[in-house]
Amino acid sequence: MQENRTRYPSYDVLNEKDQWDEHTREIVIKRLGPFPKNKFLKEHEAEMIYAIARHVVYDQRKEILDYVVHHLDNTLSSPMGENQRKVGTPEQKILVRRGLKATDNLAKEQYGAPFLKIDVQQQFSILDDLARGKAMTSEDWQGIPQKEFFKKLATEIVNAYYSHPTVWSEIGYGGPAYPRGYVRVEMGLTDPWEAKRDAKES
Amino acid sequence: MPKSHDFVKHNCDHYDGHCYDHLDKRKYGDEADICIVGAGAAGGVLAYGLSRAGFKVVAIEAGPFWNPQTDFASDELSMQSLAWNDTRLVAGNDPLAMGHNNSGRGVGGGTVHFTGVFYRFHESDFKVKTLDGVADDWPITYQDLDPYYEKIERDIAVSGPKHFPWGPFQGPYPYPEREPISANAEVFRKGCEKLGIRSVVAPLAINSGPFDGRPPCINRGFCNQGCKPNAKFSTLIHHIPKAIGQGAEVLSDCMVTQVHVDKAGKVTGVTFVHDGKEFFQKAKIIILAGYCIETPRLLMHSACPLFPNGLANSSGMVGKALMTHSGHDVYCKFHDEVRIYKGTPVLAATQEFYETDLSRGFVRGYTLNAHGSRPLGLAKNLVSKAGNWGEKLYDIMRDFNFYAQVTLVGEVLPSLNNSVTLSDEKDEYGMPRPLVTFSYGENDNKLIAHGVGKAQEILEAIGGEPAFVIPDTGHLLGACRMGNDPSNSVVDGFCRSHDIPNLYICSASVFVTSGGGNPTETVMAIAARTADYIVEEARKNSY
Ligand SMILES: Cc1cc2nc3c(=O)[nH]c(=O)nc-3n(C[C@H](O)[C@H](O)[C@H](O)COP(=O)(O)OP(=O)(O)OC[C@H]3O[C@@H](n4cnc5c(N)ncnc54)[C@H](O)[C@@H]3O)c2cc1C
Ligand code: SF4
Repeated sequence: MQENRTRYPSYDVLNEKDQWDEHTREIVIKRLGPFPKNKFLKEHEAEMIYAIARHVVYDQRKEILDYVVHHLDNTLSSPMGENQRKVGTPEQKILVRRGLKATDNLAKEQYGAPFLKIDVQQQFSILDDLARGKAMTSEDWQGIPQKEFFKKLATEIVNAYYSHPTVWSEIGYGGPAYPRGYVRVEMGLTDPWEAKRDAKES
Repeated sequence: MPKSHDFVKHNCDHYDGHCYDHLDKRKYGDEADICIVGAGAAGGVLAYGLSRAGFKVVAIEAGPFWNPQTDFASDELSMQSLAWNDTRLVAGNDPLAMGHNNSGRGVGGGTVHFTGVFYRFHESDFKVKTLDGVADDWPITYQDLDPYYEKIERDIAVSGPKHFPWGPFQGPYPYPEREPISANAEVFRKGCEKLGIRSVVAPLAINSGPFDGRPPCINRGFCNQGCKPNAKFSTLIHHIPKAIGQGAEVLSDCMVTQVHVDKAGKVTGVTFVHDGKEFFQKAKIIILAGYCIETPRLLMHSACPLFPNGLANSSGMVGKALMTHSGHDVYCKFHDEVRIYKGTPVLAATQEFYETDLSRGFVRGYTLNAHGSRPLGLAKNLVSKAGNWGEKLYDIMRDFNFYAQVTLVGEVLPSLNNSVTLSDEKDEYGMPRPLVTFSYGENDNKLIAHGVGKAQEILEAIGGEPAFVIPDTGHLLGACRMGNDPSNSVVDGFCRSHDIPNLYICSASVFVTSGGGNPTETVMAIAARTADYIVEEARKNSY
């Protein structure tokens, strides 16, 4: 899996950071860490999100997943609204906190150990059930729609993951482009600094 | 540059180049002639038009007064802050995604992070009932808006093709079409050509050459994150500064929470909240330009003994017939790189399927835009709207550079069941949170299936392999519709409320039908026409 991670093995978007405007550079570089202590998430919750994120983004790398957890903590501790919330779904702070607890209990009930102690296949199976809203219900899930819980976590995890410069490099994305912009936008053309595919690949 | 950006409390109250953190020194603190609530697409046009005519205008805007140079970043995640992020409750069979998807917050409103695709509506859009026997006719016609379309296009130097093959306006646009176009747009146009479908370089509210002290586009692709170089039009950088130059006052970070009415049934002013403190703005005329959720919410929340169901709501139509555009994103995979992150997101389009063709099994139609994306936008939609995660998501995203994308802008017929109402939950201002209910109708779903199929055909015609479709929506319309009959509409053809003579409602909320193309040129044309009407009326009478 790691071998195929990228079609652009020699590209690093951060090599271009001096070309970015200062405001953008500051924002992006912060994603590399170090991160402050969590404000909302308790340690166990943060660890669970870390484990869930590995499944959601299909990646194990600590430096990226640490940022993902930090982003979730930031989002959950922020006073900003959550754009939309389905009727019958509680506020995100409650949804995530209670959802994580219910997930942990689900793992205990189904596999006899908390979520962090069951194997990855079992973890995956639980998440897959939650994503489809088909996991075993119990009192823990009263007022916590499983699908919405999974969607909230997965969306914020993906928000952070695909904002990480390492991931940008791997998918061959040009990243921030101000003030430089793009000169060559037509089919088959790239600016000299953009990601180039490995010559061996066709 | 301010050291920290707190987007919740980014205070600055601007006029004449001054910037205050407090509101004791308001220019029209005693009374304004006209108070505009919301400084977005419509609000900006109104503020400029009316201040130029000599009115004392104050525009009150809930969000910040952005500075593109210091507040905007070339970054998707951080620029989600341009949206109206406050929580809205959603329901229905097809609950709408709010926030960045459709609503702006801050001076410039939705134009700050819109894509800049700039179409006129067609003649048929204004008489759907007459032509197709569904929905309703507008109280105005294409001809009523024609001079305003032309004026807006000239005022902001819309770029576009010499010849535009659909609808009554055949071009040319004031500024030449964009050149070169992105690979994604090229792929789309080639596919269309193979199938004998006419396509054009999209008309855009984006500079194709220097205009008004602003540079041409540099193709960085971040239109939905706010244009840093100011190549893309927004009312933040165009109408609002000009309005301030004409004497208008803009109060930013000021959330209007109540519209007041006197015993005679006329509006007298609004309450707004700045930094936790309440203020009153008195005005002779009030124009609500707060878009499709906040406008009906404010009207309903302002209910009083004289108007127990909310202001301007004797018809019961406030909050009813909310529309969106079906906005499905269709992706095909190619052998060679397309790199959809590059260039202005939309550079090519077709309106070949815009008008009703009964052989297709549904009425009305759609536009197809060749549409770019950046990684976060795509990945987030894949997970939240199409349910992809884990290895599947990873596999798609690894090949990010190999997809071409076409986006549908499909007409959605109005339905009384699609609505904005007040919920029991309260927001930080103590206002009830809006409940937004939306479900597609049968015609809408048939139209979507057709549009998605066509988009796929186009990309397949030049070697694309259908990869995935993300069910999305774009834009909000309606919920305070215009009409001639006060018993089933909220405002008349000039956006004046039927019930209260000095209250106007002017934004995308007055749309009667959605049309099958991006709506903002029509929003702005309507606003320009309303401004003219108010000037004309003031000459004739006094309020
Ligand atoms: C991502 C995206 C892409 C888009 N792309 C296109 C495109 O390519 N082409 C196109 O034609 N259209 C596009 N649109 C749609 C376009 O943005 C809207 O049609 C347009 O902005 C609507 O104008 P408006 O004046 O009705 O409302 P807005 O521009 O949304 O302005 C409303 C303003 O009112 C303020 N407000 C609301 N309530 C209050 C209150 N109580 N007190 C004070 N202020 C308040 C809001 O903060 C906001 O600034 C896009 C929109 C989005 C979000
Ligand atoms: S693509 Fe052009 S118009 Fe869009 S944000 Fe970039 S420079 Fe501005």
